[in-house]
Amino acid sequence: MAKVTGQNKKKKKYLTTLREQTQCRFCREGKHYIDYKDVESLQKLLTNRGKIFSRKRSGNCAGCQRKVKLAIKRARFMALLPFTS
Amino acid sequence: MKTAVKRLYEGLFLVDSAWAASEWETVLGTIRKFLERAGADIESIKKWDDRRLAYEVEGKSRGTYILAYFYCEPSRVHGIERDVNLSEKVLRALILRADHLGREDIDKPTPAELHPEGVPFEDVEPAEEPEVPAGEDAAAPLPGQEDLSEDETQAAP
Repeated sequence: MAKVTGQNKKKKKYLTTLREQTQCRFCREGKHYIDYKDVESLQKLLTNRGKIFSRKRSGNCAGCQRKVKLAIKRARFMALLPFTS
Repeated sequence: MKTAVKRLYEGLFLVDSAWAASEWETVLGTIRKFLERAGADIESIKKWDDRRLAYEVEGKSRGTYILAYFYCEPSRVHGIERDVNLSEKVLRALILRADHLGREDIDKPTPAELHPEGVPFEDVEPAEEPEVPAGEDAAAPLPGQEDLSEDETQAAP
């Protein structure tokens, strides 16, 4: 009986971590605005040719991906990030 | 007579690095003049950073960014952008609404204050593989997609 309880606990913990992990990196931080001046974090979402990673690749949710897209395009205009390289 | 409400804006201005190094007061004066001509109340104006540009702008490869927060009537922001476009000294400007920002965001230290000696642009180049958070197991790249990214890397001239 005790073994079953242990298994349940393990399963519950696994499910909790999975649920936590399903949120995107910006949702986890609770960010409502992605700053275009934060070049370091935006660069992690670009290929080394300067293209934006897909949602599947970056793990962003739809809303955050749109915010990231806008921030990257603003940073590109200000020559903080390359259009292509 | 109805008076227009002034809203908080954030403006980032890009100027030539050499000009900023030699005549810093003139640079600030020029930007202040643009803002004051539009009837803006300047909240703060400071150097954001001096860094290598991601691409050449008007033949310049280094630039100094100046970050300004100001209250302005929405209808007069266009005037600031027009002044910047007519100016040969200011290379680029981006003016955005900053209503969502708090006092701590405005007073946040700039990269220039954090790294006074300057961090070269090359130091913040992305790694070969981007940092994919541990949680994105479900969002791991498909094998085909990985190959596509690698092909793209190899295709670099």
